[in-house]
Amino acid sequence: MIKKALFAAAFAATTALSSGSFAETVLRLDEVAVGELDPAKASDYADSILMFNVYDTLVLPNQGGPGHSGHLAESWSVDGTTYTFNLRDGVSFQSGNPLRAADVVYSLERMQALGAGLSYLFAGVTAEAVDESTVTFTLEAPYAPFIASLVRLPIVDQVHVAANSDDEWGESFLSANGAGTGAYSVTSHNPQDETVMAKWDQYFLGVADVAPDTVRLRYGLEAATVRTLIAQGEHDIASQWLPPEVVQALAKDGAQLFTETGTGAFYFKMNTTKAPLDDVNCRLALSQAFDYATAVQMIAINDDVSAGSPATGAIPVGMFGANGAEMALSQDLDAAKASLEACAYDPADMDIEISWIAEVPLEERFALLMQSNFTQLGIKSHITKLPWALFAEQVSTPENTPHISQLFVNAVTGDPDTLLYGMYHSSTPGTWQSPEYLNDVAVDAALEAGRAATDEAGREAAYAALNARLMEIAPTIYGFDRQSVFAASNRVKAPALSDPAQAFGLDGMGFSFRLMEMVE
Amino acid sequence: MDPPHSLFFFRTEPPMSPILRLLLRRLGISVIVLIGVSMLIFVIARIIPGDPARIALGPNANAEQIANLRAEMHLDDSLPVQYANFVVDVLRGDLGTSLYTNRPVTLDIAQFLPATLELVLLAGIIMVGVGLPLGILAARHRNRWPDHLVRILSLLTVSAPSFVWAVILMLLFAFYLPLFPVAGRISDVYEIERVTGFLTIDALLMADLAVFADALHHLILPAVALSLSGIGQAARLTRANMAETYEKPYIEMAQAFGFFPNRIARIWAFKPSLIPSLTIIGLDFAAMLGNAFLVEAVFAWPGLSRYGVNVILRKDLNAIMGTVLIIALTFLIVNIIVDLLIALLNPRIRHSTRGGEA
Amino acid sequence: MIRTILVLTRNPLSLLGLILVGLVIVAAVFAPWLAPYPTHNGAVVDFLNNNRAPSAQNWMGTDLVGRDIFSRILYAYQISLTLGVVVLVIATPIGTIIGLLAGYVGGWVEAVLMRVVDVFLSIPPLVLAIAMMGVLEPTLTNAMLAVTAMWWPWYARLVYAIARSEREEGYVLAAEVIGAGTPHIAFREILPNCLPAIITKMTLDMGFVIIIASSLSFLGLGVQPPTPDLGSMVAEGARYLPDSWWLTVFPGLAILIAVFGFNLLGDGLREVLEIDG
Repeated sequence: MIKKALFAAAFAATTALSSGSFAETVLRLDEVAVGELDPAKASDYADSILMFNVYDTLVLPNQGGPGHSGHLAESWSVDGTTYTFNLRDGVSFQSGNPLRAADVVYSLERMQALGAGLSYLFAGVTAEAVDESTVTFTLEAPYAPFIASLVRLPIVDQVHVAANSDDEWGESFLSANGAGTGAYSVTSHNPQDETVMAKWDQYFLGVADVAPDTVRLRYGLEAATVRTLIAQGEHDIASQWLPPEVVQALAKDGAQLFTETGTGAFYFKMNTTKAPLDDVNCRLALSQAFDYATAVQMIAINDDVSAGSPATGAIPVGMFGANGAEMALSQDLDAAKASLEACAYDPADMDIEISWIAEVPLEERFALLMQSNFTQLGIKSHITKLPWALFAEQVSTPENTPHISQLFVNAVTGDPDTLLYGMYHSSTPGTWQSPEYLNDVAVDAALEAGRAATDEAGREAAYAALNARLMEIAPTIYGFDRQSVFAASNRVKAPALSDPAQAFGLDGMGFSFRLMEMVE
Repeated sequence: MDPPHSLFFFRTEPPMSPILRLLLRRLGISVIVLIGVSMLIFVIARIIPGDPARIALGPNANAEQIANLRAEMHLDDSLPVQYANFVVDVLRGDLGTSLYTNRPVTLDIAQFLPATLELVLLAGIIMVGVGLPLGILAARHRNRWPDHLVRILSLLTVSAPSFVWAVILMLLFAFYLPLFPVAGRISDVYEIERVTGFLTIDALLMADLAVFADALHHLILPAVALSLSGIGQAARLTRANMAETYEKPYIEMAQAFGFFPNRIARIWAFKPSLIPSLTIIGLDFAAMLGNAFLVEAVFAWPGLSRYGVNVILRKDLNAIMGTVLIIALTFLIVNIIVDLLIALLNPRIRHSTRGGEA
Repeated sequence: MIRTILVLTRNPLSLLGLILVGLVIVAAVFAPWLAPYPTHNGAVVDFLNNNRAPSAQNWMGTDLVGRDIFSRILYAYQISLTLGVVVLVIATPIGTIIGLLAGYVGGWVEAVLMRVVDVFLSIPPLVLAIAMMGVLEPTLTNAMLAVTAMWWPWYARLVYAIARSEREEGYVLAAEVIGAGTPHIAFREILPNCLPAIITKMTLDMGFVIIIASSLSFLGLGVQPPTPDLGSMVAEGARYLPDSWWLTVFPGLAILIAVFGFNLLGDGLREVLEIDG
């Protein structure tokens, strides 16, 4: 029963105390539980951190600007819906096996077969190994952001998995072990407690000496615990889910603030199938009554840093089709009352269910803010707290989906398509991203145009039209454009999280440990 | 103790030890109670709203995957069949897979239970070690200031839930006076080879006193928070029973003979008074297993209770049933041990040939 | 009754208990008039004044959305007391009837009923309530239901023990001889002898019910916001330690004061009525 010798390896830290200049450096950070190590099942932030460090992808987003460059791929060419990649020479997995085109094919097929995580990005894609170092992808339909989506296709060591696993896709093996080419290897992994990773010095790009030798990613720490551990020098980077007051307290004590910007927003999503929110005027009334200015005020850390900036529409500022920063949304009670007049339902009969995700305490305050805003219109509401897993289950049917769900959604590949298509296209109702159950012909058309357009102007036009339509039919209260803020000790430097010229523009990629520097 | 074969031939053998008889009786009752508990847990778990298979597979699963998992979890069978499957699996030592951790529930329990037991056992030791002497002190100074003080203290400690004590202790001794760590079981710098899962014992097995001290250092604050209400109850009960014993003629006689009060307290008054105290300690152990849910939440203690709260919030059926079952089992075992201790201490039961009605 | 209270006031500790319980009841009943910010029991937000330390305006500070903590504690007492009273009013008769039946009737009725009681008692009380709340919607009614489900067996066991010893007493045998029916003997003859023990236990239990209910909401399984509840206030505030200590310390002390009051009172009552623990 008892797991023996779980931590038999790595006595590094204890010996470090005595060995002076050869001291091993340890980076300690935290995220919410559970940490999913299987790269095909990775979907949330903790999973992404693990994936980006243990595995590599064919391309990487450019730092400080748009576009992508080759990573495991040296180059690629596009011919209609066929993409051909040449793999880099001399890359090997942590097992020592060389990287082959067959591994790329295996990784794609594995992701599609398991059907979990972000596998929907690769629906309708087939891959073929032309030779040892050439692989082609064929798409069923044109998809403009295909290259961008490859940042979510981690390459798995097929030979190593086959050698260590009975089942075809090695699910149990990969849920506890790494099998990638990444700069960090997994020392131990406990999905609710901690993943320990060690620097892998044969990484194909090399890893700087200043990068942390050991990384401890801890799960599910309490805010008060993180606050004290950082103050006592026993923790380095806090998760973005710390309440603003705690981040403020830490910043006051001298902690630095890392930020990651621009690929997502905080949304209050309305169930458009449920009375009274199936009436567009009621939805407009609620979104006009929302106090946007207070919401932004609630997430400010200090005068310079905030966990978000005012929303200007459905699309975050800076993406295709977004409005300018000067067009910030604001509360307009007169307009809200007028909209409510036009609504077919009697406000006296309404009882709006506002849900909040139990893991994100800040959302309880937004729920209270909405409740008080709606009271100003004479609309009654009640608040429900839902743990994440339960929420994801409830949204699978429109009847069980709450009137209002609060969600932070980001573009998982950095491209607006992965932000908006999953939320608003009528073919993807009832996922955690789409509790609106929106079914609107104009929205569908704009989303499809955004995918099919081949040039930037075409995409800009499609998403601008989409933005305008989404403002008109108000399926969502567009809360604010989200920026992730991380309080951190001064033992660590992370240029990708502090210098806009080195930022990746992709959530979680800033946590590439090989690019971090330990000071001391 | 009798040799084991008497277990099988006790009907024909000469009268067996009353202690053994008591043990068998208690085991028999425990089996009945465990069956009842398993039914109760099963009923609670099956009235859960929502589809556990869909919860398990997460937001992006399709209908086919859900149907497959439902079949795998026997969710489409009738309730009696589901219960029968559950019992058969439990007897095989298979509690199913946790939907939350994606691991066998038995593995999760094996990992988290020792942390909780270590905490509860130390809390129990503190409770007995502080509660009994306080009770004796109060009894010896009946109706004088030590008695009143102990009475107020014990009423006060039982008057707040353990999470309030945990928060207060944490604020005072981890934040304002940083004497103790705020969270966890062990500092990062130490690596422990897990043999028993009890970190203090594993540290001793490694013969590493620094690790032992560190593990103990992490244990103290949560254990004290957990033991506070038990201390009050143990003290009150001991005081009540000892005060009664003090009124007994043999004690008055001893006092008349001029024995020193200390000696009286230790030899005459203490032993009989221990028996009811032991009973209440068994009950307090149950309370502490429950209160561990609260203390572990405050101190981020990676134990079974914290796991239990997480799986309950996520409606993770297998894990909920497994956790409650294991807690009930632990509680039953402790109570059997307490009953046996009482029997050993109580001459009336020890020497009785009819067996004890405990 | 009045004599009992008079006797109680002679003991300073019992008097203190009486005073504390009185204060808590007054606070709960008159919360709308006593609270400096009576609207703060609901969904009011005042983000200009959120997370303020105790001051002349807000004696116990304000919470994270700017509501007055003192006002919310007064309202939270309403919830705690309601919950305590309802649970005991439901659990006591159930437990008493089952205990009386098992204790007086005996035989297989006793065996079956007491095994059921054993099953309930063999899961630590809080764990049972947590497991039940885990599958039920977190509402006040369900919280009452879950706590009641774990509470009645204790009364069953208490009454059972008394009833079993009374079964052989002369007055019961006498009633049997003159042909009195089982219900008459159980409820008219034996029950009155159980009442002092039951009343004392109820007073003591009031405090414990408050503790259990606040524990449930501390774990997020009880009453939901914006309804003020002491347990969830502590849980919410614990995230902001040590900086915003007032968020947790005052609601925590509020629980302590109320339960301490009931415990002192119950303890005094037990002495006056001469009942063994």
